Amino acid sequence: MDKKTSSAPSIWRVNLTPAVIGLIPAAVGINYVAKAFAEGLKLPVWLGSLGTFLASMLAGPIPGAISGFINNVIYGLTLSPVSTVYALTSIGIGIAVGVLHAKGGFSSARKIFVSALIIALVSSVISTPLNVIFWGGQTGIAWGDSLFAVLVANHVPVFIASFVDEFVLDILDKVVVAYVACLIYKQIPKKMISYFKD
Amino acid sequence: MEKPEMMQENLTRPWHERIDPVTKLLLIAVLTLLSFVLTNIFAEAALILATIFLLLFSGKLGSSMKALGFCAFMILTMLLIQGLFYPHNETLAFSLGAIAFYQEGLTYAALLGCRIIVIVLATNFFMRTTTISENAKYLENAGMKYKTVYLLMSVCYILPQMMQNLKKIQLAQRARGIGEQKSLIQKFKTILPILIPLVIKTLDQSMSRSISLQLRNFESKKRTVRALRRTYLMDKMFHRALGLTSIILIGCKVWMLINK
Repeated sequence: MDKKTSSAPSIWRVNLTPAVIGLIPAAVGINYVAKAFAEGLKLPVWLGSLGTFLASMLAGPIPGAISGFINNVIYGLTLSPVSTVYALTSIGIGIAVGVLHAKGGFSSARKIFVSALIIALVSSVISTPLNVIFWGGQTGIAWGDSLFAVLVANHVPVFIASFVDEFVLDILDKVVVAYVACLIYKQIPKKMISYFKD
Repeated sequence: MEKPEMMQENLTRPWHERIDPVTKLLLIAVLTLLSFVLTNIFAEAALILATIFLLLFSGKLGSSMKALGFCAFMILTMLLIQGLFYPHNETLAFSLGAIAFYQEGLTYAALLGCRIIVIVLATNFFMRTTTISENAKYLENAGMKYKTVYLLMSVCYILPQMMQNLKKIQLAQRARGIGEQKSLIQKFKTILPILIPLVIKTLDQSMSRSISLQLRNFESKKRTVRALRRTYLMDKMFHRALGLTSIILIGCKVWMLINK
């Protein structure tokens, strides 16, 4: 990894440059397409955060968080209104990916796995209260909800059962998305990476 | 002053087009908050009825009903899981053989389901009665930064383009027999050669778009906001009234949670 110099721009900069303004809609589009792919092939994962991962890796946590936020707002206003509240989760994912990527959390296969677990944890912690408020604790994925039902039937508190339901699904989803995002990131031409980073 | 032909146009527009987009968004917020403040299933049903009337009078009910299909499955599974396993279940509602459904769980799931329906229908009123360009013009005139407006609106324009690309790819997928694979590993292996070029192409197009923006002096401070052609019914008054109602409803909900 390159050593950072003191003149390197902060990862927390909030400057909506034309590069970032061009990147965010693309990230939202990638989220849509990846999600549609997963649904079309009946994969047990959502893949709907692939664009957010890439935006955070390319431009930092703030553009990543913005693209995650806009993704859910637009998705909510076009397809599934309740998705809007999960914009909070997407913001968390964007920030977590951006920070972990800047700290070298995506530099080796093992580190990617650990980073994916951290991102899954962040996602689950934010999503669980929303799942309880809106869906009584369910996630809408059949096998995750079966697990939720078993736990609730065995008198496990709803919050814990919902967290387990969400976390189990998130681990699988975020591990797959993290590896796919890294694979794509490695294929991106260097000039494109430096364009979005600057 | 409004030009006479503009005034005439404004008067002939249907009522829902004379309400501004921000009022409609605030209406979603008020209806959603109200559904959370109400704890009675009949009151929730009345709220659903009110949103149905809103759509009915704007002539958008039929197209909005399709949106409910999206959450119908989730509501059904909620009724099933909560009816069976809700922690406060005591009173038997009915039983199907050895499976017993309880009243408390079913009522709780029905309450959550009603809230979801209210949110979906209220959001559909906004979706079906506004256009992207109308929203963009109104938000910029209301004082939102042009960069934020561009960001929000460009997403709306890029999505149909990407969905078109996706359809082409899915057609190609079917032609290649993708989707028939049994194992997950096989499925992942076959989608990656399609997904990776699509993503890189999208990023490349976004870079070209960004360069075009720079060349067209997008960040120039000298900008003229285009004047609104339309006028809206008492927009400022609606904003204040609905904003205040939202604050009151949030206060009510917090009060209810504290005194629970």
